[in-house]
Amino acid sequence: MMAKQSELDQTLMALADPTRRAILHRLSEGESRVTELARPFAISLNSVSKHIRVLERAHLVRRRRAGREHLLSLNPEPLDEAVAWIEAQRAIWVARLDSLDDLLQAEEHSASTPKQKGNPQ
Amino acid sequence: MSSETKVRVTRQFNASPERVFDAWLDPDRAGKWLFATPTGEMVRVEIDARVGGSFVFVDRRDGDDVEHTGEYLEIDRPRRLVFTFRVPKYSQESTRVIIDIVPREGGCELTLTHENVPPDYLSRNEAGWTRILDMLAETLG
Repeated sequence: MMAKQSELDQTLMALADPTRRAILHRLSEGESRVTELARPFAISLNSVSKHIRVLERAHLVRRRRAGREHLLSLNPEPLDEAVAWIEAQRAIWVARLDSLDDLLQAEEHSASTPKQKGNPQ
Repeated sequence: MSSETKVRVTRQFNASPERVFDAWLDPDRAGKWLFATPTGEMVRVEIDARVGGSFVFVDRRDGDDVEHTGEYLEIDRPRRLVFTFRVPKYSQESTRVIIDIVPREGGCELTLTHENVPPDYLSRNEAGWTRILDMLAETLG
């Protein structure tokens, strides 16, 4: 259970950065070399490598070696868990707002029911 | 360490913006729905409804008191309410909830944004899961 939690923490943390999301977006189109991946970004190769390491630790990015090259690819599985978690959070608020709606409707109903005179409100 | 995890929910109500807004800050009414659980019992609700004021909701779940607490950052009746939110039992991390209410034909539309939600809220919160499973059961018939 604890391991599960920290995995989710890592996924959410990894996804919290726009550069890392852009890297994942690029990898969703297919495998890429580190240098290729770094090219569109206005930051150093070193910074991109750091971002990639965060993504690898979160198991969002896989690395394989082909000769001297390091090829990176997307691993979407942790994303599914993050989406499920966010959906679950939404569901809690949806349930709360359902309760609010029930309360408001109950009030509406009791307000439209004729009251006894002198009934303290 | 801040993550940008955001949860957003939009919902229509057949009630005026004022009534919907007030239901968040009136202790009697808020205690009935806000952090209440179907099987829990709301044993304490304290609301100091001013900017900088705090709130405490204590829901007793299986004899276990679960405190929900936070501080109001913005109170702009009936348009906008912003507060910090924490469940100390599950996490020390403070999160932020933003409520925006706009009038609509016959009522209003509420948009809730919960920022910075820490993952351990839910995974350790069995009451939350139970509620979700109940809801799923209802949806799926």
